[in-house]
Amino acid sequence: MSENSLAMTALIFLGAAIIMVPLVRKLGLSSVIGFILGGIIIGPFGLKLTGKDSDDIMHATEFGVIMLLFLVGLEFEPKKFWKIRKKIIGMGLSQMLITIIVLFGIFYFAKWQTDQALVTAICFALSSTAIVLQTLKEKNIFLTDAGEASFSILLFQDMSVIPILALLPVLAKRPEDNEHEILLQYLPDWLQPFSIIIGVLILIILGRYVFVPFLRYVSRSGMNELLTASSLFLVIGVSELMASVGLSPALGAFLAGVMLATSEFRHELESQIEPFKGLLLAVFFVSVGATINFFVILKDPMFIFTTTVIVLIVKFAVLFGVGKFFKLKLNQNLIVAFALSQIGEFSFVLVNYSTKLYLLNPELNAQLMAITAITMCVTPVLLIINEKLIEPHFITDTHDSETIQPIKERKIIIVGFGHFGSTVGRLLRVNGIQATVLDNDAERVNLLKSNHFKVYFGDATKPGILRSAGAETADLLILCLDDPEKNKFILEYARKNYPQLKIFVRAKNRLDAYDFYNNGVDNIYRETLGTAVDMAVDILKATGMRSYAARRLGKRFMVIDKAMVKKLAKEQLKDKITFTVKESLEREAELLAEDSQSFDESQWTDNEEI
Amino acid sequence: MKKTLIIFAHPHFEYSHANAELVKAYDNLDNVDFKDLYEEYPDFHIASFRERKRIREYERLVFHFPLIWFTCPPLLKLWIDEVFDIKWMAEQNHPLQNKDAFIIVTLGGKEENYSPDGLYTTTVPELMKFLILSLKVNGIQVKEILAIHNADELTEVDLAKYTTEIRKTLRTP
Repeated sequence: MSENSLAMTALIFLGAAIIMVPLVRKLGLSSVIGFILGGIIIGPFGLKLTGKDSDDIMHATEFGVIMLLFLVGLEFEPKKFWKIRKKIIGMGLSQMLITIIVLFGIFYFAKWQTDQALVTAICFALSSTAIVLQTLKEKNIFLTDAGEASFSILLFQDMSVIPILALLPVLAKRPEDNEHEILLQYLPDWLQPFSIIIGVLILIILGRYVFVPFLRYVSRSGMNELLTASSLFLVIGVSELMASVGLSPALGAFLAGVMLATSEFRHELESQIEPFKGLLLAVFFVSVGATINFFVILKDPMFIFTTTVIVLIVKFAVLFGVGKFFKLKLNQNLIVAFALSQIGEFSFVLVNYSTKLYLLNPELNAQLMAITAITMCVTPVLLIINEKLIEPHFITDTHDSETIQPIKERKIIIVGFGHFGSTVGRLLRVNGIQATVLDNDAERVNLLKSNHFKVYFGDATKPGILRSAGAETADLLILCLDDPEKNKFILEYARKNYPQLKIFVRAKNRLDAYDFYNNGVDNIYRETLGTAVDMAVDILKATGMRSYAARRLGKRFMVIDKAMVKKLAKEQLKDKITFTVKESLEREAELLAEDSQSFDESQWTDNEEI
Repeated sequence: MKKTLIIFAHPHFEYSHANAELVKAYDNLDNVDFKDLYEEYPDFHIASFRERKRIREYERLVFHFPLIWFTCPPLLKLWIDEVFDIKWMAEQNHPLQNKDAFIIVTLGGKEENYSPDGLYTTTVPELMKFLILSLKVNGIQVKEILAIHNADELTEVDLAKYTTEIRKTLRTP
């Protein structure tokens, strides 16, 4: 491996992830463990497959964390954000301050230098957004109280990175050799402390007046690739912008997500960014594993071990105390305390930055890095211990009613909102039933939005979009696209991946209906049936038949026709067709002629439904 | 318990607290099938073949409905018109012979109004004549009429009493 190209390294990282994750999933562990283990194996102390580029890789994959936060922001409407503001400030601030004070005290008494003790305490107070959010989502507890508390604390920590970065040079008491130009410095001195507020304001203005019109403009071109490109452009652009203003890129991405949460592109963006996020996060975790420096650990194992244990215990205790103070239920509180007890990825950044400022010596830097990585590896294990050994003791009657039950709303997804779909949607709306509507005609979406319909832009034939529209938790999927092939495609995909969905589908004619029946869907609506029957009934009236007789005949025709199509659909699957369309039409005529006036019971046997 | 079919018809079931409680009487009973006509035939298009085939299987029919303008809801009347048929009786040799029936009817009015000297001068059994006779011609004996008055004002306790009564009646051989 002399020519260790970036592509090669990426290949090795991905390979490690692909091999390890299925293994640990089989053991019922979180995928994060698999990634980290994979990283250890390919790292300098395993197969030595990672070259000098692992730092670059780590840097690149920080975008994974950024994208994760962008996605979290997307699911987070400003209203909700405002609702938990007290939790963010209260829980976040108290957790940070108490952890820093306690850790600093311990390090100080352990005869560390004051400034080193303080810097380390600050770095260690942070938790890992990437690991916690990934784990919470995997365990499907993101929407519980524990999820909300964790999220509030993590958000505050991400915000606090900014003042910390500003504080470190002050601690170092030496001028910092600034690496990148920070736009902030062009601001007058008195404005600089308000950098966060300025950054947020910029984002709000951008979100409202730039992002959405920009996405509308792109979506009108009708090219999906362009949307992928612009989604990435947005996320990376925002994080770069934030970095240049001197704010945390992750926080910027989160706010950008919040700004776009109410726009019609929410689901489209989600499905576009999701695969990149997954990939980059995976590589990020692998690189955490690969950066554990075992030489450093072996040199002074006692120091590493004791520090790690102490940090974990302190963080756990503080989190638990804060949770108790904020009246979290015991089992929820335990999840939060275990989940956030590790040291976060920002610690890597802060430790390196402090070393540049000569606050930490290289040896301590390596040790702190190792401790950080170890705590990250321990988290999934701690959560398993909590789940398997501690939680079972708390199973009471209240357990299933108000603990790990994400709030579930009865959800309907309508795909296609043209003349057909919008009729369905309007009738539902009159009854106060809100559906999530997807449509891929930008003009129409725009028009509907101005009429206060909750419509999202997105091409539902792309797998990701259904998931981001909430197919996992939805109850009903209503397919009203004009193109039966597209309906069929979505139907097959949905049946396979979201078996709980009850599917209603629009069909053009009998042939589509056969297909849909054979795909196991029973709610099929043929455009060419109902309206045509209505017409025929009116024609019968026009020929002089009494209205009531005509209506009954029309009804019977519908019922018989549906039954026949169902039967013929089954015939299509057989090798030898025993019941042909011609026969079915003859049978239909017979049945209609009887008009329920026959009392020959032998005739009723195969007409159960009439 | 006799094999029983409950034929329930209520055009505005979602607004009737009393009936929502009363139909609980039919929960978890062996040999009792519950059929909600307005749920099954919202378009008033009754599958008469299927209905005829179905009711043959039962030994007892229970008609449960609210009294609306002194008669049964229109869908129940339509069901009777479409399903019972003199020709069917003749051709199939009286398929409904020897079954029995109960009528459970809920009324908004007070009991004293339904008496010869009351406001309506007619008793509930008199009002039920159309149903009793139709059934009788088809060979079905009405064994009992349970009239539940003041249905909208009944308390949970009252309703529970009626529910118990219905269950007891269903157990009678």
